[in-house]
Amino acid sequence: MATYSSRIETAPAARWSWGSGIVTRERVAPLVAGAVLLIIWEIWVRATLPDFVARPSGIILAIPSTMASGEFWSDVGATLGAIMEGVAIGSAAGILVGVAMGRVREIDWFFSTYIRALYALPLIALVPIVILWVGYQPAARLIIVVISVFLPVAVTTADGTRAISKDYLDVGKMFGARTHNVWFGIALPSATPFIVAGIELGFARGITNAIAVEILASVNGMGMSVFTKSNELNENASLVYVLALAIFAVGVRSLMIRFRHWLAPWYHR
Amino acid sequence: MTTDRREESFETRLARFRIVNAWWIRLACYALSIVLLLGAWQALGHSFGILFVPFTTTMSRLWEMLQSGPLLPGLVVSGKLYGVTLAINIVLGVTVGLLLARIKLIAAAFEPYIYILYATPTISLVPFVSVMFGFEFGSRVLVSVLISIFPILIGVTEGARSIPRQHLDVAAIFGSSEGQLWRDVIVPYVMPYAMSGIKQSIALSMVGTLVAEFFLNPDGVAAVLLQGTTIVDSGWVLAVTIFICAIAVVLVGIGELIERYLVRWRHTAVG
Repeated sequence: MATYSSRIETAPAARWSWGSGIVTRERVAPLVAGAVLLIIWEIWVRATLPDFVARPSGIILAIPSTMASGEFWSDVGATLGAIMEGVAIGSAAGILVGVAMGRVREIDWFFSTYIRALYALPLIALVPIVILWVGYQPAARLIIVVISVFLPVAVTTADGTRAISKDYLDVGKMFGARTHNVWFGIALPSATPFIVAGIELGFARGITNAIAVEILASVNGMGMSVFTKSNELNENASLVYVLALAIFAVGVRSLMIRFRHWLAPWYHR
Repeated sequence: MTTDRREESFETRLARFRIVNAWWIRLACYALSIVLLLGAWQALGHSFGILFVPFTTTMSRLWEMLQSGPLLPGLVVSGKLYGVTLAINIVLGVTVGLLLARIKLIAAAFEPYIYILYATPTISLVPFVSVMFGFEFGSRVLVSVLISIFPILIGVTEGARSIPRQHLDVAAIFGSSEGQLWRDVIVPYVMPYAMSGIKQSIALSMVGTLVAEFFLNPDGVAAVLLQGTTIVDSGWVLAVTIFICAIAVVLVGIGELIERYLVRWRHTAVG
């Protein structure tokens, strides 16, 4: 059964192979579909569009030269470093505020107006005002990533810690739990799946918004290079960066799912 | 009686006070948070100069921009893109979602790529889209839809897949045709999933609209926002940001109303 559940999470297509009996056909289907898509893309670009437009063969040929350049790795370091830093700060702040909101109604009421308003707002709309305040600097990217992660983590943590079972609280009280025991000993662990889901969402938004800030504020990084390479008519190199971003995003996603299973094995959605 | 009161701990009395006066405390919390923020904004605004204008200046600025200025024309442009995006999300998301759930081979073939496309930050695809399809309305719609379609599509697929086997069996026993099966079993069952996808799409289409307008030759409200950054006018930028935030809150509120309506419908349908 363990293999079953992990297969559902990592490879959605494999779901159909289970119990339907025709394993081979549905394993081969994505490979065929992928090959067909790539061939259509290749032929279409060769036939109708100028030579600089990215196509699969060009992207593959561009991978070694792009990855050999120091610029690529400094871009990767800058963008992913900022995202990691932002996720760390945003999650920590979000968990603290979220627990307080979840456990104390008054704190929830106090913050809810702003957290709701900001949560509804597409955060990309905050980029111009942040650029105006901190300038065309990497700090703008960090601030936006922190906000992108803070909001979903605060909201999910508040939801998770608010909805803890009364039985846990009663047992805690019986054993003389104090407020901080209830917050960090009972509420926080039982809200783990919620918190991880919030971090997961924040991660995805953080990646997107980090790239958005890089482009709008001309901050060096992977997102900036996607656009500059494209403007230099080096479309294939631009797509190599996109590929790297996609691998990072997909990798983060599957890592977070594993992380959730490891942290909260009792909880399967 | 009085001895009883004295024996109660401070915590018990506090707890009772919080329950008895919950309504007033709640109101006070909302009021306090708004007063504190606006007060801080006003005070800071007077000390930071042009980089951070006070709340009152921002509001009068917003009023000016609404009366005569680029904001309302920009809103019309953005509103059109938003409407088209949302419509495509609903129609295409539900159709493709149902197809993926019903035709297993297509699902097996394309699902990995749908998930990869969903995880990839769509902004990074903007240069590629613009080279392939240009900077016109069609490209904007494509970018906007790529950002906002997946929750509804995936939600509908998962919903249709979770239809209990028995429902389909009963329909088969009573000799339902494919058309009847869809009308009587699949569509009613999937409706709540579709509605909750639509709720998410209402919020996400806004993100898609802004991204498409920011990164494919600025246009609409996003262009108005960027204009303020270029001329370093914080009153302008703050006014437009608050304007967008107000619209976002209203749209998300509409989405929540739809969901609340849906939950009620679900209760009556089940119970």
